[in-house]
Amino acid sequence: MPFFGELFVSEIQKKSVLDPRGEELGKVRDLVVVKGDPLPKVSALIIEKKKRLYCLLWDDLNIFNKRIISTKIYGDAVHLYEYGETDLLIVRDIFDKQIVDANGARVVRVNDIRLEGFNSEAVLLAVDVGMRGIMRRLGVERGGDDLLKLFRKRLPYNLISWNYIQPLEPRLTKISLTVPRQMVSELHPADIADIISQISQKEGESFLKGLDVETAAETLSELQPDVQAAIITGMETEEAADIIEEMSPDEAADVLSDLPEGKAKEILEHIEKEEAEDIQELLSHEEDTAGGLMTNEFIAYSPELTVKEAMEAFRRDAGEVETVYYIYVVDADERLLGVVSLRELLLSPLDAKLSDIMETKIKVVPPETDEEEVAGVISKYNLIALPVVDSDGVLLGIIAMDDIIDRILPPAAKRRRRKV
Amino acid sequence: MSLWKRLVIFISIMGPGIITANIDNDASGITTYSVAGARFGYSLLWTLIPTTIALVVIQEMVARMGVVTGKGLSDLIRENYGVRSTFYMMCILFIANMGTTVANFAGWAASMEILGLSKYMMVPLGALSVWFLVVKGSYRSVERILLFACLLYFGYVISGVLARPEWKEVMYGTFVPQVKWNPEFVMLGIGIIGTTITPWMQFYLQSSIAEKGIQKEEYRASRLDVFIGCSITDIVSFFIIVTCATILFPQGIRIHEASEAAIALKPLAGDYAFFVFAISLANASLLGAIIVPLATSYYICEAMGWERGVNKTFRDAPQFMWIYTVMIVTASLLILIPGAPLVLLMVLSSVLNGVLLPFVLLYAISLVNNRKVMGEYVNSGIYNFIAWCTIGTVIVLTGFFLVTVFFPAAA
Repeated sequence: MPFFGELFVSEIQKKSVLDPRGEELGKVRDLVVVKGDPLPKVSALIIEKKKRLYCLLWDDLNIFNKRIISTKIYGDAVHLYEYGETDLLIVRDIFDKQIVDANGARVVRVNDIRLEGFNSEAVLLAVDVGMRGIMRRLGVERGGDDLLKLFRKRLPYNLISWNYIQPLEPRLTKISLTVPRQMVSELHPADIADIISQISQKEGESFLKGLDVETAAETLSELQPDVQAAIITGMETEEAADIIEEMSPDEAADVLSDLPEGKAKEILEHIEKEEAEDIQELLSHEEDTAGGLMTNEFIAYSPELTVKEAMEAFRRDAGEVETVYYIYVVDADERLLGVVSLRELLLSPLDAKLSDIMETKIKVVPPETDEEEVAGVISKYNLIALPVVDSDGVLLGIIAMDDIIDRILPPAAKRRRRKV
Repeated sequence: MSLWKRLVIFISIMGPGIITANIDNDASGITTYSVAGARFGYSLLWTLIPTTIALVVIQEMVARMGVVTGKGLSDLIRENYGVRSTFYMMCILFIANMGTTVANFAGWAASMEILGLSKYMMVPLGALSVWFLVVKGSYRSVERILLFACLLYFGYVISGVLARPEWKEVMYGTFVPQVKWNPEFVMLGIGIIGTTITPWMQFYLQSSIAEKGIQKEEYRASRLDVFIGCSITDIVSFFIIVTCATILFPQGIRIHEASEAAIALKPLAGDYAFFVFAISLANASLLGAIIVPLATSYYICEAMGWERGVNKTFRDAPQFMWIYTVMIVTASLLILIPGAPLVLLMVLSSVLNGVLLPFVLLYAISLVNNRKVMGEYVNSGIYNFIAWCTIGTVIVLTGFFLVTVFFPAAA
């Protein structure tokens, strides 16, 4: 049982490894990590002697702590080591890299790693992302601590449990647990978008691919148009189509309109026909007009329906539609006649007809209205959604309040992440 | 691909290269060019050609890294060379850029003084507006202001043409290298390269390209952006030298500051030249005062893994906001305190920049040749030879520069 207690990897870097006679075998250069249960564990030490690297298996170690590292074997029994792409090394592959802290929904950098003894193995317990880690690597941890003591403060430990981190590099992902994936999926898509906008595009791509389609779709729609386009362009058409299909038609149209024409067409061909038609129709409008902002998913019923029938129909339809607070009343030619709010529908007698309870004085805009004007109308009349109709009065779509707010006050991840 | 389509792609990509190169002509750059023109006439003009080539070669590599990896330079250095070298590099970068910020506020103060506005009013005002712009402003407004400010540099081109230089002599000075073995001449020649190729702009360019999310397929457009930016920056430097060389040199007027150039121009070339020089200096200084502290806090936070971003608050990104604030406050206070050791700080800053530059360039070239980082986009054989020669020359010249700073008598 070679290892009790805990230590930071930087504390044993360059430390001498002794054989049973007390002769130096080499100095610690790196540690090989493999998947373990429940946490990744150290499987070997890479030691350096006279510019040559040797691999020292964990089972050959006798004592392993921050003061002494010694082996059960002698120098002639250790093997030469050559850096390979397949091994995962703490210093080379994990130190200084960016990772996602799934608990705090942010991107952090690994300053140090904490190992702990568990069933005679050394497991990766936590990642140090704080100033203390940096100072330890620089060899001034104690000095910094003493300095702060003068001010009666303590250097805080800033550790994140390995359970909560999500590595960004695919090779690292293999050894980490499935837990962080789930934790990331449980984050709000807007937070995931925030994370993606802080890492490089390649990392963002692989990160998004790891999410389930539904979360990926919601996350994608929260991202800035350039990033959306870049990520979709980098994906296989099939994969991209799956994600786009999951989005609401107006958001899908937004994403597709920023892609090169050929790619957009290719993706549309892979999407279910009905949905593709909806998207195509939206694509024909300018982006910053009512037509470009609207979605063609809404609830519309015939005036002849009774409240009871409408409620049954609503139960069936509302699951698919994002904005359900208004029930639009349209004739057989889809011309907009009136609107019934969800509240009115619920409060009205079951046998009343929609035509009896509907509000006929409705605010509408034509598809070419400018977005500023749309925002003005929505704000002035306190609407949750605004219908868009053509010159014949046919209901083309609706603009939901949250879509117009996104245009005027873009969320952080949609704003250009720039360093000026 | 049609010409039209290519143009559209270029317009969407352009920006980082042009803005970086323009901000490179900050207060200290303008000072060097004005002094060089007034002291040696057209005879230093030729140094701009090798300088431009060196600038293009280096910026191209940095831009390529930004496009291929999607990461900033300090990010890549941290990931590939560890925390120790990154940390010390960031410490030096902080002090060096602190000096650059002071130089820019000094330029701002001087240009306000010669326009008749008290520096005790204008420096706090400038500092406050620069601070507000970032802490409270949105990126869009910042970018619009920056692009507009870049246009103002063309004032120098106009004043250069209006000065009616002897074009034949100008061409001769530009294309026929001449060296005077005079310490001042050598130092100014090296100074021109030193103010043009700085450590911070390599970090800035790579980050802004990575940030813009430019794809590998669009890399050719990005290269054009860098090329045009480097050319513009040296065309502006060219006309600053030409103006001072045409008007001040024949009169034997010696200057030490960019603002002195503006004053000296007034009786000789009229109010217009005076205003162009004064306002362009004010503009360049303020631009530098926005970008340099902001860029510095970005790289440091990027390397250390702290939260960063213009859209963040003091609560979300305390280190980022504090580094930025401290730099601006310190720089403007130093300008306002009478008798503060400004010259010492600026010399220190150029020395530190000189010390840092070889490291930054060596890191950059070894990263750009690292297949694990760059894949197939590493330097080609011939290009690598050119790059190494360029970097070698820049490093040797920077070494000379450092020697002249430490042993002025020996030069």
